[in-house]
Amino acid sequence: MAAATRTAPRAREIFTTLEYGPAPESHACALAWLDTQDRHLGHYVNGKWLKPERRNSVPCQDPITGENLASCLQAQAEDVAAAVEAARTALENWSTLPGARRAQHLTRLAKMIQKHQRLLWTLESLVTGRAVREVRDRDVPLAQQLLQYHAVQAHTQEEALAGWEPMGVIGLIVPPTFSFLEMMWRICPALAVGCTVVVLVPPASPAPLLLAQLAGELGSFPGILNMISGPTSLGPVLASQPGVQKVAFCGAVEEGRTLRRTLAGQGLELSLALGAESLLLLTEAADVDSAVEGVVDATWSDRSQGGLRLLIQESVWDETMTRLQARMGRLRVGRGLDGAVDMGARGAAARDLAQRYVHEAQSQGAQVFQAGDVPSDSPFYPPTLISDLPPASPCAQTEVPWPLVVASPFRTAKEALAVANGTPRGGSASVWSERLGQALELGYRLRMGIVWINAHGLRDPAVPTGGCKESGSSWHGGPDGLYEYLRPSGTPARQPSLSENLNYDTFGLAVPSTLPAGPETGPSSAPPYGLFVGGRFQAPGARSSRPIQDSHGNLHGYVAEGGAKDIRGAVEAAHQAAPGWVGQSPGARAALLGALAAALERRESALAARLERHGVELSVRRLRAWGARAQAQGHTLQVAELRGPVLRLREPLGVLAIVCPDEWPLLAFVSLLAPALAHGNTVVLVPSGTCPIPALEVCQDVATLLPAGLVNVVTGDRDHLTRCLALHQDVQALWYFGSVQGSQFVEWASAGNLKPVWVNRGLPRAWDQDAEGAGPELGLRAAQTKALWLPMGD
Amino acid sequence: MSLPLADFILYPFAVINHNYLSWISKVQVNHPAVLRRAQQVQARRTVKKEWQAAWLLKAVTFIDLTTLSGDDTSSNVQRLCYKAKYPIREDLLKALNMHDKDITTAAVCVYPARVCDAVRALKAAGCNIPVASVATGFPAGQTHLKTRLEEIRLAVEDGATEIDVVINRSLVLTGQWEALYDEIRQFRKACGEAHLKTILATGELGSLTNVYKASMIAMMAGSDFIKTSTGKETVNATFPVAIVMLRAIRDFFWKTGNKIGFKPAGGIRSAKDALAWLSLIKEELGDEWLKPELFRIGASTLLSDIERQIYHHVTGRYAAYHDLPMS
Repeated sequence: MAAATRTAPRAREIFTTLEYGPAPESHACALAWLDTQDRHLGHYVNGKWLKPERRNSVPCQDPITGENLASCLQAQAEDVAAAVEAARTALENWSTLPGARRAQHLTRLAKMIQKHQRLLWTLESLVTGRAVREVRDRDVPLAQQLLQYHAVQAHTQEEALAGWEPMGVIGLIVPPTFSFLEMMWRICPALAVGCTVVVLVPPASPAPLLLAQLAGELGSFPGILNMISGPTSLGPVLASQPGVQKVAFCGAVEEGRTLRRTLAGQGLELSLALGAESLLLLTEAADVDSAVEGVVDATWSDRSQGGLRLLIQESVWDETMTRLQARMGRLRVGRGLDGAVDMGARGAAARDLAQRYVHEAQSQGAQVFQAGDVPSDSPFYPPTLISDLPPASPCAQTEVPWPLVVASPFRTAKEALAVANGTPRGGSASVWSERLGQALELGYRLRMGIVWINAHGLRDPAVPTGGCKESGSSWHGGPDGLYEYLRPSGTPARQPSLSENLNYDTFGLAVPSTLPAGPETGPSSAPPYGLFVGGRFQAPGARSSRPIQDSHGNLHGYVAEGGAKDIRGAVEAAHQAAPGWVGQSPGARAALLGALAAALERRESALAARLERHGVELSVRRLRAWGARAQAQGHTLQVAELRGPVLRLREPLGVLAIVCPDEWPLLAFVSLLAPALAHGNTVVLVPSGTCPIPALEVCQDVATLLPAGLVNVVTGDRDHLTRCLALHQDVQALWYFGSVQGSQFVEWASAGNLKPVWVNRGLPRAWDQDAEGAGPELGLRAAQTKALWLPMGD
Repeated sequence: MSLPLADFILYPFAVINHNYLSWISKVQVNHPAVLRRAQQVQARRTVKKEWQAAWLLKAVTFIDLTTLSGDDTSSNVQRLCYKAKYPIREDLLKALNMHDKDITTAAVCVYPARVCDAVRALKAAGCNIPVASVATGFPAGQTHLKTRLEEIRLAVEDGATEIDVVINRSLVLTGQWEALYDEIRQFRKACGEAHLKTILATGELGSLTNVYKASMIAMMAGSDFIKTSTGKETVNATFPVAIVMLRAIRDFFWKTGNKIGFKPAGGIRSAKDALAWLSLIKEELGDEWLKPELFRIGASTLLSDIERQIYHHVTGRYAAYHDLPMS
């Protein structure tokens, strides 16, 4: 037959140039879905659309054309309350269901997403401007895998997570520049373990609403997932709703800090995942071409939200820069719904942020290289490589925004570690080296939540993802993600304990003077006097002491009055001892804890005179038990799409400060000290305020048995010492067992370096019961997770 | 990299700057990372509509239309040659306004014994499409060097202007890079004016690092093209292997200024595959490699699938088997 006339006028021209053409992906289905809502989106609560009257609305725009796609209602406090109410009602049923039933529901949701995946990916790409390839080939399948993985976890929950119960209603706050996947990472584990969720999604982001609708249309359990659309400023409103037990926030570091301060004392858990910058460490032993692809994966493929800090070994600097620049020239930027672009657009805010950073870097003397096939019209920003930025310039300290890469050289692996660990960020990093020994050395010693060896940006539901330092210490995925939404069975639910009039500026600032208090009536063998710092008893900086009275009001003796300088000294000593202790094998640590237990046993008769016998005996047992538990840490994970293992490492937090409760002066002290030491931390402790002497007596044995500086005990005014520890930027974590006000202050002050804190909010704890005194919760809190990816192949 | 430029093609291995050898011995290719890149590169580019049609027609001009069977006779070689001259139905080309572009395949590739048939058939068809011959004990290369060299000379005498030689895999697997270099240098000499395409048989080299090293040696020894495979191994032209070879070609270009061609062969059967290969070249090497002098696709059934796709593009219908002439 003769060829009909669907002619191609441009074919001749393209035949010569072989250029790429537009490869538009139709977004008709996304528009049709918006039409079903009359282009007017509300909230999705309790399985229904909620479109209250008289609310402001914001337009949802196509970030590239600026075309108005729909208008989105902005929530007010009542709407948030309605959503939380729905979640609370749903919780009663959902949390008591057998895990298998929840598993079934999650699996059904996964299938629902599978059925409507085209709608989901076109809507997400249309609205966010991200490359559709990334959403379609990575996000949507991963969302289904997440549901399936967590369905399995729900199935085995009764067995594997016995002793834990769901927290309750979870409030989730997500930032404006995020993909719906970030939300899935958090709602899947929460739903799996039996929590219900209220998500505060940024205005004008329909994909999460669609997901909620898909979940709602499953029919059963409508209220388990509720979406409220509104600005981040509604976060505190969400948090303050009665019934919300935990708030999970992901977003910018400063916003996280503010939220931490705002929510101090509200009695709820807060988990933060902050910042988006990543790090890539390229050594001379790397396959440079593959590492360059790693850089593309990290920043220029619409996968991550943030920019990249790139450390290149000096000997391969020129070669890497040449290859990187050549590669950049082939990147394509364009409309997200085009099947052949690497990078889409992220809206005006992200572009302005990048632009500002580049201008500032330039003014500070940096070289800027931009390349790629980028449309000239406004919403797009080209892939950008910045080099020669002076390390001391203000720009070099701030977080690198999308889509920028800031490259700087290093000379040796040791220097690379110093540079990489010398930032407040502790999110993710990759190490590129073909030398196994070097790669592992760097992987283990980087202070990051995730480290990939010779890869960048791999994710899997079974692998915990999180961070440390100012990146926030929350986890999602893997077993760690489940514990985020669980608490030991029997933990009392949230109680509002906020004291509005707590003055953060003056709490614990002044130390009341201590005066002589009459004749001592203590036992004849006076306990040593001084602060136990750096392995020996030292006189306090203030050169004064405080009287200790027994329960009858008789003066028992004096202990040293420690202050800010003593805390500083103790933290320094702990830092000095840290490398030696981390380097010890778990077995060696267990042996030392065993020796301490034996010494405590010998002291039993002396101590028992002042304490009940039972406490000494239990303390001895705790030391031995934690020594043994520390041997079994970390394990290997198998990941579906990766050849090779992922190591889930349990690493020490660093210098851990512990303010012990007043009650159980010996048992609580030992119960807290033992897990901390067993997991490789060095500690600064403030012992019981009413009866600090048993702790000091233990220190006499510590002095002879344990390395100097490993354990430091500072006595004195508890509020004052707590203040010093909580505000200390180089204390990596803080456990506080004391007053309501103290707990609130600790939470507020931890915003400084965003150290993980554990506070009792004035509630007593049964230290003599194994569940509370030696439960797995202590072990979980005493160490941090790191995921080390080791892809293999030859 | 600051290695000196050297025109090593004129020198035996010993004279080659030892920098190069030490550099080649240090090269490491990360296998899982290359696999990931291979997956990505296929998903990140696509061409549609006129672009697809134009790219497919371009792909036709890269094809080394191949028949390498034990039962080849002059009649099927002749038919192949006509198909090489008229790869796409004339009316389809007219509809695309491409009928005057003289679209033919890049070459015809046959066994040495069929070179005469091919040359004759192409002459009869009145075109100057080059004839490529495989040689040097194709496909295994396990014959004496003397006969392998003689094979090349005879094929050239018969009129082949491109020679696809296989390398001696045992030299790679035992790390005898100097010996490999010397052998390919002798192939080069035996070819005379004819183009030398060196088949690395990457499925039998053991590792991607070996693929990189063998590619480098083959280019240093004067190959005009490096080619992935014979089509007779169990693993043929795959993307990971191609990525490593293309990176070697790029490195060689950056070091010496010489552009060496690339030919994947074996297993490329669909129009979609062909488009992916074109975009791979475009991404890794750039547009300047997208011409028959620097890029070939060794294939036999690919052409009919491309023609079918062009038919669909032009008519909007899917072709029946009998709508398109056989090759």
